[in-house]
Amino acid sequence: MGKVIVVTSGKGGVGKTTSTANLGTALALLGKTVAVVDADVGLRNLDIVMGLESRIVYTSMDVIEKQCELSKALVKDRRVDGLMLLAASQKNNKDDIQPAQMKAICDKLRTTHDFVLVDSPAGIERGFSNASAGADEAIVVTTPDVSAIRDADRIIGLLQNERIEPINLILNRFSPELVGNGSMMDQADVLDILNIDLIGIVPEDSGVITSTNRGIPLVYEDTSPGSQAYMRIARRLTGQRIPIPDLEHKGLLTNIVNWFTRKR
Amino acid sequence: MNISIKQLFGRRPKSSNIAKQRLKLVITQDRMDVDDRFMTRLHNELAEVLAKYFEFSVNSVQVSLKQKGNSYVLVADFPYKKFHDMNVGQ
Repeated sequence: MGKVIVVTSGKGGVGKTTSTANLGTALALLGKTVAVVDADVGLRNLDIVMGLESRIVYTSMDVIEKQCELSKALVKDRRVDGLMLLAASQKNNKDDIQPAQMKAICDKLRTTHDFVLVDSPAGIERGFSNASAGADEAIVVTTPDVSAIRDADRIIGLLQNERIEPINLILNRFSPELVGNGSMMDQADVLDILNIDLIGIVPEDSGVITSTNRGIPLVYEDTSPGSQAYMRIARRLTGQRIPIPDLEHKGLLTNIVNWFTRKR
Repeated sequence: MNISIKQLFGRRPKSSNIAKQRLKLVITQDRMDVDDRFMTRLHNELAEVLAKYFEFSVNSVQVSLKQKGNSYVLVADFPYKKFHDMNVGQ
């Protein structure tokens, strides 16, 4: 039986969809079978971020309305073995789906996949309830700014009420330079406030923008810092113990030594 | 000139520290709001128990949560008028 993990944040624009696309792809690259589910009914984007937008025929709405079988609605990503996408309907809205219906889909997907990653919409309303209904675990994505952290705290409270655990944190768009000069909270500050486990820090990486432009998740390109961060998080999700590297700004010499001694 | 040496040479507090302090305050309040009904119930039940021992006006009772370092502190303020004489009832 596979695990169902909801990827959520409260606030929009912090990187939920990017994280879902990259972690889903990374887990498949590690040999796992993965279904990524877009739960953002009416504002779907996981398809375009992953570059699969031209291949969507059916959506979760069609499955719920019994217009097609679940297996037929899944779009296979041809670039890697074992990765499927279930798109959200673009012409419906969040209230057209019940939490129990989403849970039924997740429960079915977990019988055939090692991981089911559900990309939650922003907000704390029905879209969030639907996305988290079938989840065993949660990944909360936040950036190191006050509004994203405040919303993350609210979402964490709601997830705890639903007895979803563990709840793991991804600290996204982290800038070692800004932390170094005191303009950005570091991971210790954020964890002190949110009080949940950190599963990874993703540094600010312009590669995210270009990879989204192309519809090719960053993890296909293994050299960028963002890609490496997502690969490490994926390995941690599979149970490997990989320490979280200290991303704070270091001197040039340390960086050169690290570059030569890094594991590939 | 009313500018102190500190203002001239001292560094402004780092904005990341300001962010953290502001967040801590606002999140404490957010978390309290979520438990509004719990606080009312706690207030009423505490008042009920204490009314057996003290004489006070229920309106003067204040129960609140405050953050102290990393933990929360329950602060209950009961200005009482007098003790009930516990021997009378026995």
